[in-house]
Amino acid sequence: MTTPLLDVRDLTVTINRDGHLITALDKVSFSVNPGEVLGIVGESGAGKSITGAAIIDLLVPPLKRTGGTITLAGERLDRLSPKAMRSVRGGRIGFIFQDPMTSLNPVISIGRQLCDTIEAHLKIGGDKAKRKALEWIERVGLPNPEVQFRRYPHQLSGGMRQRIVIALALCANPALVIADEPTTALDVSVQAHILQLMRDLHRESRASMMLITHDLGVIAKMADRVAVLYAGRVAEISTVGELFNAPKHPYTRGLIRATPMPSADSEVRLDQIPGAMPGLGAVPPGCAFNPRCFKAEGDCRAAIPPLTTEESTAFSCFHPLEREIA
Amino acid sequence: MLNYAASRIVQTIIVLLVISFIAFLLVANIGDPLAALLSADATVNERMELIARLGLDQPLGTRFLHFLGNLLQGDFGMSYRTQDPVANLIAERLPATIELAFVSLLITILVGVPAGIYCGVHPNSLFGRFIMLISTAGITLPNFVVGLLLIAVFSVQLGLLPSFGRGTVVDLGFWTTGLLSVSGWRAIILPAATLSTFQVAFIIRMLRTQLMEVGQSEHIRFARARGLSEARIWYVYAIKNTLLPVITMLGLQLGNIIAFSVVTENVFAWPGLGSLFLQSIQAADIPVIAIYLIFVGLVFMIINLIVELLYPLIDARVLRRQS
Amino acid sequence: MTPVVNTPSVPAARRNRLSKLLRAMRRAPGPTFCAFIIFALLIYAFVTPLVSLNPFEFSGMSVMDSFIPPMWMADGIPDFPLGTDDQGRNLLTAMAYGMRTSIIVGFLSVIIGLVLGGSLGLIAGFVGGKVDAFIMRVADVQLAYPALLLAMIIDGAARAALGAERSVTTAITIVVLSIGIAFWVQYARTIRSSVMIERDQDYVSAARITGRSNLSIIVLHILPNVMAPVLVIATINLGIAIITEATLSFLGIGIPVTSPSLGTLIRNGNNFLQSGEWWISVWPCLVLVAFVVSVNILGDHLRDVYNPRLRGRS
Repeated sequence: MTTPLLDVRDLTVTINRDGHLITALDKVSFSVNPGEVLGIVGESGAGKSITGAAIIDLLVPPLKRTGGTITLAGERLDRLSPKAMRSVRGGRIGFIFQDPMTSLNPVISIGRQLCDTIEAHLKIGGDKAKRKALEWIERVGLPNPEVQFRRYPHQLSGGMRQRIVIALALCANPALVIADEPTTALDVSVQAHILQLMRDLHRESRASMMLITHDLGVIAKMADRVAVLYAGRVAEISTVGELFNAPKHPYTRGLIRATPMPSADSEVRLDQIPGAMPGLGAVPPGCAFNPRCFKAEGDCRAAIPPLTTEESTAFSCFHPLEREIA
Repeated sequence: MLNYAASRIVQTIIVLLVISFIAFLLVANIGDPLAALLSADATVNERMELIARLGLDQPLGTRFLHFLGNLLQGDFGMSYRTQDPVANLIAERLPATIELAFVSLLITILVGVPAGIYCGVHPNSLFGRFIMLISTAGITLPNFVVGLLLIAVFSVQLGLLPSFGRGTVVDLGFWTTGLLSVSGWRAIILPAATLSTFQVAFIIRMLRTQLMEVGQSEHIRFARARGLSEARIWYVYAIKNTLLPVITMLGLQLGNIIAFSVVTENVFAWPGLGSLFLQSIQAADIPVIAIYLIFVGLVFMIINLIVELLYPLIDARVLRRQS
Repeated sequence: MTPVVNTPSVPAARRNRLSKLLRAMRRAPGPTFCAFIIFALLIYAFVTPLVSLNPFEFSGMSVMDSFIPPMWMADGIPDFPLGTDDQGRNLLTAMAYGMRTSIIVGFLSVIIGLVLGGSLGLIAGFVGGKVDAFIMRVADVQLAYPALLLAMIIDGAARAALGAERSVTTAITIVVLSIGIAFWVQYARTIRSSVMIERDQDYVSAARITGRSNLSIIVLHILPNVMAPVLVIATINLGIAIITEATLSFLGIGIPVTSPSLGTLIRNGNNFLQSGEWWISVWPCLVLVAFVVSVNILGDHLRDVYNPRLRGRS
């Protein structure tokens, strides 16, 4: 067992709504090993983005981290002072935001934004920083780095902007990169290119990646291991192969079945899970999935199933699916 | 872009013509220029001469064209009150008001901007809330009350600053300035502070709102996620986003400065355009009132035009959105 | 638990409205306090003239009584709690009359602005097309001018047109009209946009189908639905109107001294500020500021409460 680079244990995030405390993330636990890509997958509202933001302490109030531990290479991030946390952000953990149209400061040039980040973490200044910035512009696939350096975000297309966002996240050589829906806001034709870029950069740098997405296709292409979130809790964690071929949690199977993917006999199945994921504060007692689960029984309503580890997978279910014998 | 500029310029000219026409109608229909400009024992010949010179026997249309022509040549008519050319009166009073406006702008920038930035960055701090309270007072208190208050405290009670006049004034030929003497500066501080009260309060509120809004934006969040220092995030990244809207609003507030200058100049007996205007109203000096009408309209229209034409150049995003 | 008002003789519906009002007041202590201040000042301004003689018409004062300071200072007399002015008038009474004039003039100018702006807004919104474009163009041009300046120009032009001999009533009329005309635009715009929304509603089409005349549609159907935001604007505008009138009077081009408003009183008192008789202008200042600030705060609160975008929340 390799020591994980990032280890999250019992992470809990609450939101304060009119005086009531509602749990957004409920004791979420997972880890990212060095050099691997961990996918975090789930529907909208399952808590994926909140997980990413909670790790680097960038939750938007009234969201608040109220419990759990976050360990990066043996150091407790949840115990750091705000100043120390600032040097972790960008320096040791890079964050790729979702929407390139809104994540870049519109009135500051691309080059300046890159240099600021580089100077903040790499302790180099002036020309050296500029040279590094130009290197990165080229590395993320933009032609004429000198020209792009002086440009402003609105002068670039969406795909180009997202490449700059990636450059900004990586330019300080972080050990871990968290990508929050990096391709969701892009045109389909551009998505594949960006994913390819991320894969190449990942291989070159050997940094770890935490890839947050709702798109199982992206997971299939990019991830080594996957954690499935449902209603603020971890449903299942396993390798990508195991996940698609032998999911343990009924929700995971439902999720896979609901994703249009041609099956072996070129049928495209599309099965919806009846009902909908409970919203904030509306989580039923016991297992969050039990009202929609065809395997639910009394004990599912009585207690929240804990995350049980079995060989290379983990799942929180009292009645996990048996491996289907093909 | 050129089409847009051309249409805006044409519209501005049309509006200015309409305003000039209204001003002209005022001059043509209200008051008696003959009674005002002639002495009591004027001869019939002098009467006829004046009528001919002023074109009073001409049809309305022709008179309006003469009026416009005169305006463009710098002839603003004759004051009924002093029998002097209005242009001379204006030239005499202009420096005082311009210097007043200039110093008040200085105060707005030196006081209002830092205070507004502080409020925006630390909205819930004790000092921040205190500043907001003062700014509320600045916006709701009538201008003359502020002036009286300042006089009561700094002139009457403390005896530090004068409450009227411009102090020692240096004559530079085409310009008389009070800014070259200590007494001149002492005299201009209270009136400039009074005049700037509304602007300072306004800019504090504006900066605070703008900064709080920008502070919530995604790109600031991304800047934080990259570990940039709070100082850099606020004082460079956030503020740069607020510059344009704030400067624009300040420019559009110029009309208010002109209005409040009338009150301020009265409170402090400041011999500027504002008190000229007030004297004209009290004395029913229509030609001066009419010129003021055109002048204020001109100022606003030109500022509006500059803002509308320069905006797309400065902020290319605006141009893209429009096309 | 909902608070229950113990008024056994009041029918149920009125009891509900009363308890709703009390609840609203409890939730907003600031604006409620301001409402009380406004109420108190209104009583002061309108009741005092009923129980005392007008110091500006009745010459029952003695110049011997002039410049008496407020009663808590040396030389003060309990007979004149807030002191006297340069003509020996009791400031407490004089201010009440001044306040009454200020409020009446402010109120009237708001009505004028409302009626003028409202009619133009209704017409522009309902008729649309070229009429609408024209009215809005005029509105835009007028907005180039600060309202205070416009009020001054209209006031000045009216004075010039009417000549030197002017009665007090004429002066007041000029001031009211000047301020009303200077401020019609905001009413017009608000009503216009409300009307444009309402005129496309089904109930208007229904009324049209049943053959109702345009005028009756406007007055009977649309008007009640657009009044709420307008009334909120009117409240906020009342404060501005009173300040504008006070400024005009302070400058000497507003309400004359023979029937003064607070602004005129302040102008008068200003002459004696330097020589130390501060109370002659400070009291009217305080009263003016207190009233206007209260109206502003209450108006802001009402605007937030009746904001249609926030209506869903409560």
